[in-house]
Amino acid sequence: MTDALAVTPAPAARRGAGAVAVTGAAAASAYGRGTEALASGLLSGQPAFAPVQRFDVGARRVHFAATMPGLPELLTEVTRAAAEACDDAGLSSADRARTPLFLAIHGDPAIARAPEADKPGRGPGAFTAAVAAGCGLAEQDVRCYTSACVAASTAIGDAASIIARGHADRVVVAGGYLVECDQFALFDAGRVLADDGQVRPFSAGRRGLLLGDGVGAVVVESLRAARARGAPPLARLAGWGRTGDAYHPVQPHPEGHGMARAVTAALQRAGIAAEDLGYVNAHGSGTGQSDPAETNALRLALGDAAASVPVSSTKSLHGQSLEASGVLELIVTVLAARKGMLPVNAGFLGADDRCRLNLVLGEPLAATPEFAMSLNAAFGGANTALVIGLP
Amino acid sequence: MTSPASVAPPSLAALRAAAAAAGLTVCASASWPETDADGEVPALAGFIESSFSPLLAEVAARALRSRAQPQGPGNVTAIVMVTALGDVTSAVRVAAAVDAGTRVSPLLFFQSVPNAVAGYLATRWHLTGPVVCVSGTRAGLDVAAALIEDADADEALVVRVDLAVTGGGRDRAAAIVVTGPADRERHRTG
Repeated sequence: MTDALAVTPAPAARRGAGAVAVTGAAAASAYGRGTEALASGLLSGQPAFAPVQRFDVGARRVHFAATMPGLPELLTEVTRAAAEACDDAGLSSADRARTPLFLAIHGDPAIARAPEADKPGRGPGAFTAAVAAGCGLAEQDVRCYTSACVAASTAIGDAASIIARGHADRVVVAGGYLVECDQFALFDAGRVLADDGQVRPFSAGRRGLLLGDGVGAVVVESLRAARARGAPPLARLAGWGRTGDAYHPVQPHPEGHGMARAVTAALQRAGIAAEDLGYVNAHGSGTGQSDPAETNALRLALGDAAASVPVSSTKSLHGQSLEASGVLELIVTVLAARKGMLPVNAGFLGADDRCRLNLVLGEPLAATPEFAMSLNAAFGGANTALVIGLP
Repeated sequence: MTSPASVAPPSLAALRAAAAAAGLTVCASASWPETDADGEVPALAGFIESSFSPLLAEVAARALRSRAQPQGPGNVTAIVMVTALGDVTSAVRVAAAVDAGTRVSPLLFFQSVPNAVAGYLATRWHLTGPVVCVSGTRAGLDVAAALIEDADADEALVVRVDLAVTGGGRDRAAAIVVTGPADRERHRTG
């Protein structure tokens, strides 16, 4: 059992008074381009993993990932997604020109092999400015987040924070990761990839994670501004929390203390109780240490509700898209809530006593959660929680 | 403040200016190099081949050690890293190994994102706030200001690291600890 008293209390979560909404979304993944392709792939329950064709994996221990066909380019895909999210939100050219972009990427994929003299122009800031220019967003106030698997979710939390305080009306948050040879080699060398070709979050016999293409973009907007221009929200961005474990450079706190504080802060900002959550899209990496830590975090933060709230990690379907995970999985959470169908936690072989949760198994679960949460965690003990509510 | 230098390096000056623009109070600062004695960056166990993480850890430690006041047990400190190009040295090493078909060290996996050294710092100094890495100084200080304003952190350690990417260049780094406007008087008189 975990000891709730050992957890440093979450600071009283404060936020601005303004309500925040998601008014547009776009995505691309191994299931194809567009949110409908993503939703239909998720609800098929069929994981998108296959042998990698994009580059040579002959020297690697593991040969699987979830990839789109062909050789998609990150700049093109992220720019397309950001533009489509703006279209989805009904933003005019004038609206876009006043809207900043927060982008989550590992970096410009070309920098490592660029000539020395070209490297200074290949930074993530320049990449972000190019995306903004490509879809007509403001080229001032762009931000690029590179903080690993919480980069996009942190950017979304930051956007919500400044919008709630009235410092901005609207921010486009985008993220992108396309499976490539360098990160694949690193993850393979780190022996964290699942050598059985499946991601099995919270399951007995889980063998690790698999990488997956993930591109997503959302328009985060004040509800007041959205109403003023007659834009219907896809969802409210009700709460957000960001914390650090202060435990280990690359391992999560085994009792989930940091993530529990992030969940608590997000619930407090949303003004809801644990029992109000109808779905949790878990971080659920499918690795040995992370899944029990996340289970403990949910038990600490949600109490008895942790045993009943439906949970799935859709990384078991679309894979781990690193810096883009937070925005892709927020979109997944919004789609699940809006469609009233919760995606499965695929790859499940059997219960692990350290990961006892109410997992969505077998087939998607029909449910219409009023509130749902998306969780992410990363190296450095970084944790994020985002709570959405149906409008 | 540990720097005896009369002229702040550009990165520290930029951090201070951005902190002021964001309405934040600088209560500690440090930079690398600070004096001619700053030659080789001290090694950091578990991090190899690149000075990025050791440099970030060293300049952050200097700033944290120079804080005038001891921090209470409930004090929450965010870690905000700023880097224009990231750990280019590690990225180049990995690409070279991949292209040559040679073994990639598992240690390079762990340091492939800036979060790993942030996790080291968080553990060493018990910094329980959010961990963020952005590419611009102004963005970094804006993130810090928002985290403090929303009580996600009481203070933020903001570290900027710029590795030399051309021959003859020198790695540079700077760190500041910032608090919100309400703490200004406390730190001025502390």
